[in-house]
Parts: sequence; structure tokens; C-alpha cells
Amino acid sequence: MSIAWYLAVSAFIFAIGAGGVLVKRNPLVILLCLELMLNAANLALIAFSRMHGTHDGQVFALIVMVVAACEVTVGLGVIVAMYRRRLPVDVDEMRELQG
Amino acid sequence: MTSVKTFAWLTLLFPLAGCIVNALGYRVLRGKAPGYVGTAVLFASFVSAVLMLFALQDLAAEERHVRAVAWDYMAVGGFDGQLALLIDPLSAFMTVTITGVSSLIHLYSVAYMGGDRGYARFFSYLNFFVFSMLLLILAGNFIFLIVGWAFVGAASYLLISFWFRRTTATAAGIKAFVINVLGDVGLVLGTFFIFRGTGTLDYLGAFEKAGEISGGDVTAGCILLLVGAFAKSAQIPLHTWLADAMEGPTPVSALIHAATMVTAGVYLIARMWPLFEESESAAAVGAIIGCLTLFVSATIGLVVTDLKRIIAYSTMSQIGYMVMAVSSGAYVAGIFHFYTHAFFKALLFMAAGSVIAAMAGVQDIDRMRGFRGAMPFTFGCFVIGGLSLAGVPPFAGFVSKDEVLAYVADRGDWHVALVVVGYITAFITALYTFRLIFRVFFGEPSPEARELEEGHLHHADVPRNPMTGEEEDTDVGFPGPEHHIAEREGPMKGAMGVLAFFAVFAGFLQIPNVTDALDTFMEPTFEGSRFHEELHPSDALTFGGLAIGAAFSLAGIAVAYLIWMRRPEIAAQVRERFRPLHTLFVNKWYADEALDRLFVRPAAWFGRFAQQTFERVVVNGLFVGGPVGLVRAGSAAVRSRQSGFLRAYAALMVVGLTGVVLWLLIRA
Amino acid sequence: MTIHLSIVLWLPAVAGVLALAARRFAGWVTLAGSLLAFAYSVVLLIDFNASSGSLQYVTDEAWIEQLGIHYKLGVDGLNLALIVLTTFGFTACTLWAALERDVARTPQFFFWMGLAHSAVLGALFAQDLILFVLFFDLMLVPFFFLTLIWGPTPRPDRVRAILKLFIYTLVGSLLMLAGAIATGVLSLPNEATTFVLSDLERIAMDEGSQRWIFLCFAAAFLVKMPAFPVHGWMPDGYRNMPLPVLAVFSAVLSKVAAYGFLRVVMPLFPDAAAEFQMLALLIALASILYGSAMAFTTTETRLILGYSSVAQLGFITLGVFALDDAGDGAQGAILQSVNHGLVVLPAFFIVGLLAARAGSEDLRDMGGVAFRAPVLAGLFLIVALATLAMPGSANFVGEFMILFGVFDVKIVIAIVAFTGVVLASVYMLRMFIRSMHDRVGPSVDSRDIRVRDGLVLVPLVAAILFLALYPQLPLEKGEQTIPSRVQSARQVLAGEEIAVDPREAAAEAAEAEEEAERAREGEGREP
Repeated sequence: MSIAWYLAVSAFIFAIGAGGVLVKRNPLVILLCLELMLNAANLALIAFSRMHGTHDGQVFALIVMVVAACEVTVGLGVIVAMYRRRLPVDVDEMRELQG
Repeated sequence: MTSVKTFAWLTLLFPLAGCIVNALGYRVLRGKAPGYVGTAVLFASFVSAVLMLFALQDLAAEERHVRAVAWDYMAVGGFDGQLALLIDPLSAFMTVTITGVSSLIHLYSVAYMGGDRGYARFFSYLNFFVFSMLLLILAGNFIFLIVGWAFVGAASYLLISFWFRRTTATAAGIKAFVINVLGDVGLVLGTFFIFRGTGTLDYLGAFEKAGEISGGDVTAGCILLLVGAFAKSAQIPLHTWLADAMEGPTPVSALIHAATMVTAGVYLIARMWPLFEESESAAAVGAIIGCLTLFVSATIGLVVTDLKRIIAYSTMSQIGYMVMAVSSGAYVAGIFHFYTHAFFKALLFMAAGSVIAAMAGVQDIDRMRGFRGAMPFTFGCFVIGGLSLAGVPPFAGFVSKDEVLAYVADRGDWHVALVVVGYITAFITALYTFRLIFRVFFGEPSPEARELEEGHLHHADVPRNPMTGEEEDTDVGFPGPEHHIAEREGPMKGAMGVLAFFAVFAGFLQIPNVTDALDTFMEPTFEGSRFHEELHPSDALTFGGLAIGAAFSLAGIAVAYLIWMRRPEIAAQVRERFRPLHTLFVNKWYADEALDRLFVRPAAWFGRFAQQTFERVVVNGLFVGGPVGLVRAGSAAVRSRQSGFLRAYAALMVVGLTGVVLWLLIRA
Repeated sequence: MTIHLSIVLWLPAVAGVLALAARRFAGWVTLAGSLLAFAYSVVLLIDFNASSGSLQYVTDEAWIEQLGIHYKLGVDGLNLALIVLTTFGFTACTLWAALERDVARTPQFFFWMGLAHSAVLGALFAQDLILFVLFFDLMLVPFFFLTLIWGPTPRPDRVRAILKLFIYTLVGSLLMLAGAIATGVLSLPNEATTFVLSDLERIAMDEGSQRWIFLCFAAAFLVKMPAFPVHGWMPDGYRNMPLPVLAVFSAVLSKVAAYGFLRVVMPLFPDAAAEFQMLALLIALASILYGSAMAFTTTETRLILGYSSVAQLGFITLGVFALDDAGDGAQGAILQSVNHGLVVLPAFFIVGLLAARAGSEDLRDMGGVAFRAPVLAGLFLIVALATLAMPGSANFVGEFMILFGVFDVKIVIAIVAFTGVVLASVYMLRMFIRSMHDRVGPSVDSRDIRVRDGLVLVPLVAAILFLALYPQLPLEKGEQTIPSRVQSARQVLAGEEIAVDPREAAAEAAEAEEEAERAREGEGREP
């Protein structure tokens, strides 16, 4: 099978993720979309690894998974804390970092 | 040789020890103890100075330049500064005179300052002053000359503003100090010029090489040394501090501002004779300024009405004679006049102090009258001092002043003009001295004099500053409430008695054609001097001069008698006739105003400009505000993009990354 | 090779760390450390061999070998006197701070003091350019915290002032860092990089690089001094520092800058130094006149001392750049650095005492303290007279040498600089009179100093008096070294060929150094 199909799927998933990050306002959904983008990248990495016949890409994909797991843990923790404190769960409302 | 050195160090260290004991023991020493400590060390110093002089006389004539070195002071690079003394006839003679007169003044102060709340402080300062003065005189190189020079200035500052709650006193103090620093600067710069030419800071070494300095350098150096001398000796144009310095206690005026410190300039010129003989023009500047000062200050003395200031102006005038003498090559005559002047001027100040005490601090002669009956002893001393100052034969001042004028006249040429001014001033001197005596001691007694005749010393109800009339801050740092007059105090009487004796007889040290003790004694110091060998006034010149001098001074006294005793209305008439001249004299020839316009105001303006404008506009505005403004503007521009919308950032990232990827693709 | 210098260097910092644990006795622990360092430095001073012009007690370890950075410490006539001044000044100020009970003092305060002490010593000891830069920048950190936390003014003012100070000096420091790296890289294009100063001195860099590197270093040092017109941080900084900190800052830190000129700039960039001599002299002259003018118009006592420091540092710069034949200017500059440090320390202490009596640090609120406080008045008088460089004080000797050095070379500048001498007498006496004499101020409570005030003040004044009597001591220690620091710049100025091949001379010096070291070890003398 040509590598182009893998890359096309990867790009499609990435685009869905990016679109989600841009349009959604709920941080939980944004986090989900971020995961989509990461996994799209993973897919591309593994595809390239297969194509070149080396293991570098797979190693990277594993590392990305680990980092993604950490990130999700922290991100979910923050979101849960926000629910508990009854803060508005809306990224447009959280803009204290404006200049 | 060793005994000379030992005595020299002892002479120097006794007053220093007194200063330290009085300073540290201000709580322990009770009553009059500080005064006696101060006086005792001074007498000890005097004795050792005399012993030093004799030990020096025992040496062979060519060995009478003794250098005593303690340790290296700044001996690195090209410098050879050591803590060294030079004892030769000139410094030995000055030392003996200064310690002698100073110990009498200390004795006088024991009683005069009694009851003042700064008694220990006063004697500590006074001892320190004498130490500094001796350091100045005995210094063996330029460094310690400058050190002594500045110490003397500091001591003078401390004593002028001794009563430090008086704003007039502190203002006078800072004025004296700053003008003296100006003199120090002149001295240091002059030293630079001489050091550049000779490569040594030591007197003897430098004098030996005096001929090797280039002509420009030696003239510049000598003129700068003269600036130092003028500042210290209150010569025009750096003289304005001396009259203000009369804010200090009267013994201070007697010690510093009459007998010792102000004659430092005379000593300096005499000491530096090998340099001044190399530079005709610098010596001429000295002689002319001396002559100018002696005339100008005498005219001021004629019109001011403050008792102490009149005597201060007469001091300036007399120092003018000395400066003129030493600058014209009549070294011994100048030193001789310094010596007699120390006695009679100290005596005059002491008597004036006694009168001021009887007036409870008032110094205005308009309010004094008829003290003759109430204070016979003071009156007697004042008249002796006055006669000596006026130059009436056979008093000390007569002999020395006429010797100065005869020697200067012997230089011939334009120096004769100086002598003419000198004689005219002798007349004015007699006039203002006796104006003082007639107005203070004769006539109908003033209330204070009456009170004293009845056996009670006047005390003011509310003490007021004699200069401003402002009420004094009587808490502390103010003249003590007691007053002491010579008639009632043994120490004052003793000191004045001795001085009166010398004011009459001191001149017998050197009478033309009879003795020339001083001349012979000074020989080793001035050996090799052109003028010292050449100048020998003929008998006709000498005795003619003496006769003219006597005539002028007697005429002055006679005129004074006529104006202020017989026909008092003449004074008013003269004043009306010469109104502009009188205004000029009363305003001291506007010297204060000139200095103010030329130096004080520009400096103050510059300070204000720096403080209020430059610091704000350039330093804080341009250098601090400029970069800060740039950073502010830059950050404001960037900040407007930071909306805080998370999704906007994400969109920006996506767009940016897409842009980068596209660009890479297109390039590929 | 000895360890002595490392001991002196790190003792105060170690004491500072211990102080963190010592809680109530924090002050005394740091004081003990400083005192030991002071004692050690005095022993160094006595043991120092003044007749040798080379480095002594050298410690030299390769630190970052790949970059040629060494941990090299050493003492010569140039830094010896300043080291003693530093340990003395820090000891006095630590004692002062330790004695202040009424102000909340925490161990942290003394930790920073100890660290600052070590940093300054490090900058003075360092014989490696990078090490010097490191310590020079480290000096700033403790003062940042000391001002921020313990400053006497409201917090927003403090923050603003310390930021200003920090940014000002950091800009200079960064320029200096760039210059230092460039020096190491550019001077030995074909060999391995080195930053050891004695190696760098042997190499003549090309004039173009010298020029911009010189300007980088000069910027750092002139800001630190501070010199006109880059003194903008000074008034704010001075107003907001706690007094013991300010005293040591003003007395010691500014001297490191002057020292830097002689240690680094003059021997490394002689061509540029000669080229920019006139500019430096004019900046110095402007500092003297401007500082004096500001000092006699302001009424804030701290700023009188601050601006007087600007003027005094102007004199020191004048001496450094005099480049006269005998090196008098440079010797005077080092002596004057010591003197100025010694007078500024007690002066700030006295400002504190006066403020405690008058209730404010403004001259207009003071007056008339002298009678009830004769001891204070007497000590202040000595300090004031020494500050205005009264002949008979060591300050005069320093100024005399500086001005003669300049007089020898640029006579007009020397004559104008004398104005500063006259103005100094105006502003110091004005301060003395308005605080001690005249009428008593509105709410002045005059009382004399307590014994513990005397504990700090009297040794400082005694040091001033000792130097006044015997200025030869610091002078002769530096006689062999200091003039040689400016020698090559002077030769460039005079258009002479550099007489001795510098490589050979340096090799000889190194040999002599080793020999001296062997002799020392042989005798088994402990410094």
C-alpha cells in the first residue's frame, strides 16, 4: 500500500483535531482534539518509519504517547479542579493572561 | 645637633599633647584645669623653643640648617616626602616668638574665657592651633608646609565658629575656611611647578636647584605660592575673611588673626627667598599687592566703627608692610616687623577684649565713651599698644616699621613709590589708632563705664548678637554669661603686662647703628641672597626715614586729637564733603560684593542648574527616560496582540505553521 | 601554590550560610566570619613582600579546561590595600547591622552580607578574566535582595529604585561579558583560548578590536562607579538602601570599578586606553564638577555623600588615566580608593546617628547637635576634614599624587580639577555646620553616641588617623606593581616602542614568581 494513504489519513485526523481546537470552547473537548492531533502525528511517524525501514520513528511515537499521557493527566486534573471550584469552563472566559 | 632635633620635636609635640589631653579629658578636667593644662604645655613648648634656639646657636654658622626626619611619609615614585623638620635661624626665631606670644595669650584666655561652657574645647582648639602653626614654621619640606598651612586654616575655622550657635559665626567660619582652601590650592599648584623643575620636595634640595627651574615655571610657581600667602595673610583680593573672622572670641583674634597665623604668608615668602630671587616679576607682584593692601585696609580702618574690626584692618595693613618688605628683599626687616607686631597687636586685642567684656559683648565704638577712669590698666595697655602701632618713638613699632621702609627705599627705582604710600599710611595708621583711643577712653563716660566706676560690671539683660542684633540662643555654644576684665583678673593683667613691656622694648633688638642682633642671627638662613647682601640703607636714608616716620605719626596723633577731642564737628563735615569716598571705605571697597559676583553666585547658579534642570532633563529624562520610553512603546505595540483568547492564539499558531510549511514546500 | 586566598575568599560566604542556621546569633556568626577574613587579610598585608612586583599567594586551578578558564587567585600591590579595605569595611558594617536591635533583622540579611563580602573579595582576587566578570556580576545579587527586602522606604519606591540600579549595572555587565569573551577569543587566534590575565597581557591585540572592547569595559566600570553622566541610578539607589548596606556599597563596590581599569583595561588594551585618554579625563572632570555642584545644593544627607562620591571617583578616574611617567596618578588613584572607602563608611554611619537625633535625614531638619554630643561632633569633624582632603590626611596625599600625575601630562585639566578641591570644602563643611552647628533644628533631640555606636565608629576613625600619619604603608606596598599596570598605555601615548619584549618580561616575571613561591615554602612561613 502506498504511503500516501497513511499520510492522507494522518492529515485528515490532524485537520479534524486542529479544527476542533479552533472552534470548541470547552477545555475538555479541546484536550480531546489535541490528542487527535498528537495521534495523527504518531500515525505519520510510524508510516515513515515503515517506509525507511528504521525504528527511529517508532521510538518517537512511543515517546509522544508517554508525553501525551502525562499531559492528559495534568490537563484533566486542572479541568476537574476547575469544575470543583465552579469556575466557568470556557476558554474564552479565561483570559487573565492578556497583556 | 641631636639636642636641636630633640628640642624641636618637643616644641612641636607639647601643644599637640595639650590638645589631645583637653579633648579627651573634657569630662574629667574640672573648673579652670583645661586652661592651666593648655597654658602649661605652651610654656613648656616656649622653654624648649628657647633651648632649641640656644642649641642652634652653639653650632657652627654653616651647620645651622638642621634636618630632623621622623619617617617616610610619601616617598614613592618620584616623590621624596618625609615627615621632616628644618631648624634654621629663621624657623627657630619664628618658633620662639610664636610660642612666647601664644603662651601669654593662653594665660590671658584662662581668665577671659572663664565661665564659658566650651572651656575645654576652647583650649583644645587653641593648643591645636599652636601645634599647626609650629608645624608650618618648622616643616622641612613642601608637603608639611602645606599640611601645617591647612591645619592652621582648620584651627582658625574652628575658633572663628567657636560660638557655633551664632549663624554669623558659622558663616564667617566657612568663609575663612574656603578662602584658606583656595590659598592651599595655590600653594599645592605652586609646589607642583617647583617640584617639576627640581624633582624634590625638600626645601634645601629645591633651593639648591632653584636656578635650574625654567623661567616660566618659577614665575608661575612663585605667583601661585603668593596666592597661598595672600589667602592666609589676608592680602587683597583674598582679604575679606579676616574682618568677619572677628566673630571668634577675642583671644582668638589676638592669637590667630594678629600675632601668628596671618603672618604665615610673610614667613612663606621669606622662606622661599631663593625662588623669589629667581623671579623678579613674582616678587614685584608681592611687593605691589602688599603696598596696595596696607593702604586700602588703613582707609577702611579709618571709617568702620566695630572695635575689633578696626584692629583687624590695622593688622591687614601692618602685614601689608611685612609682605612688601619680604617681597622686596628686605627679609630681616620684614621678620623684625612681624616680631614687634606680634607683641603690640596681641596687646591691643587683649585690651579691646577687656573693653568689650566691660560693654557686655558690645563692640560698636559709637556706644563706648570714657573708659579711662573705669579701666586704668586697660587704658594704659591700649595706649602703649596704640603708640607702638602708630610708630611713635621709641616704641617697638617705630623701629621696625621704619626699618622696613628704609630697606625698601634702598631698592630704589619704583620701590620708592611704595615707600611713599607706606609713609602716608603711617599717618593714617596713627589717625585711626588714636580715633579709637579718643573715642573709647576719653569723653563723658557711657552708662557701662559709669556702672564700672561704681564697682559693678555691666551685664546685658538679653544677650544679642553684636552683628545682627538678633537674640542669642543662650542654651549652649554661646559666649558664657560671665565677663572678665583685665582690672579684676590676675592672669589677664600678667599677660598684658608682659606684652606691654615688649611692645615698648622689643625694638631694641635691632637699632640702626647700635645693634644688629637679628641681622647677624639670621645670616645663615639668608646666606647667598642677593638682596640680603646688597641692601644696606645709608645713614642718611635710615635716620631721615626715622625722622619722617616719627613726624608723620605724631602728626597723625595731633590731627586725631584735633578732630575727635577738640572739634568733634570736623569729623561730620569731612564725611559730608567726601561722601562717595566715605561710602567706598565703609563698604570696604566693595571687595565682598566683587567676590560674591565673581565666584559665589556663578557657583551657586551652576549648582542650581545642575540640581533643578540638568539632573531632571538630561540624566533622568534622556538617559533613564529615553530607554524606558522606548521599551514602553515597544511593549505596548506587542501587548495589543495579547488578547487572552486561547483560540485566537491557537489560530495564529495554525496560520503561522501553515505559512512556514507552505514556504518550505514552495522553496523545495 | 597556596590555599590561603581561597580561605579568605570563601570564609565570609560560609559564615553567611552558617548564619542561616544560627537564627538569633546570625549577626554574630557572620561577624565572626568577616572578622576572621579581616584578620587574615591584615596578616597578608604584613607578610606581603613589597619589593617584588609579581603576584603572591597564587592559587591556580584549571576550572573549565575546554574554554581555558582558570580558577586563579592572587595578590599583588594593586589589590592588596583594597582587599584590606573590603574586609575592614564589611566587618564594620556587619557589626553595625548586628548591633541594631530595633530593626527586624533576620538570618537572611546576614547571609546576603556574607555572600556580598565574598563576591567583592572574589572580584579583587580574580586573576582570570571570566572569573573576574563572574564575581563582578555576583556582587550585585546580594545588594538586590538587601535593598528590596530591608530598604527604609515604602516598597514600591524600593522596587522601582532597585530595578533601575539593576538594569543600569546589568547593561554594563553584559557589555563587559561580551568584551571579556571577545578578548579571550580574539587574542590568541591560533592557540587554545585562555582567559588568564597574565597570559592575555602578553599579547598585543589589534587596535580595532581593542577599541570596542575597551568601550565595553569602560561602560561597565563607569556605571558602577558611578561617573557622570551615567549616575542616574545613584540617587534612587542611595535613597532606598538600608544604611549599613549603603555604606559598604558606596565604600567598596565603586572601588572595584576603578580597580578594574587598572587590573584589566590598562594592560590589556593599551592602545585604546591611550586613544581614549582624553575622553576619560573629560568624563572624570565632568564628574568632579557636576558631583560637587550637586553635593552643595542638595539637602538630603545621603545624597550629599552620594554626589561627593561621584566627585571623588572622578578624581580616582583622573588618576587612572593620567598615564604620567612615574605612574603617580595610578598610585594616587589606588590610595585614594582606600581613603575614600574609609571616610565614606563612618560618614554614612554618622548620617544614621544624625537621622536618629533629628528624626529625618534632611539637612533642613538638623542643627546644633554639637554641644550635647561632643564626641559625635569630634568624630564627624575628623571624617569631614578627611573627606574634603585636608592636607595631613591620607586623602590629601592621594589627591596630591593624582593631581600631580595629571599636572605632569595635561596641565589645564589638573588646574580645572582643583576647583573640585575647593568645592569639596564647601559641601562637606556645609553638611557639618548645618547638622552640628547653627541653631537647634525643630525636633532635634541631641544626645551623644552610645558605647556600641562608638564600637563601630571609633575603629573607623582610628583607621583614618593611622593612614593620615603613615600613608607610606599602602604606598610602598603598591610601589612595584601599580606603575607597571599603566606602563604600556603610557608608552603607546608617548609613541615609544615598548621597550622590553612583553613575552620575555612576562616569562621572567613568572619565573621570579615561582622562585618567590619556592622561597616562601622553603622558609615554611605561614601568611
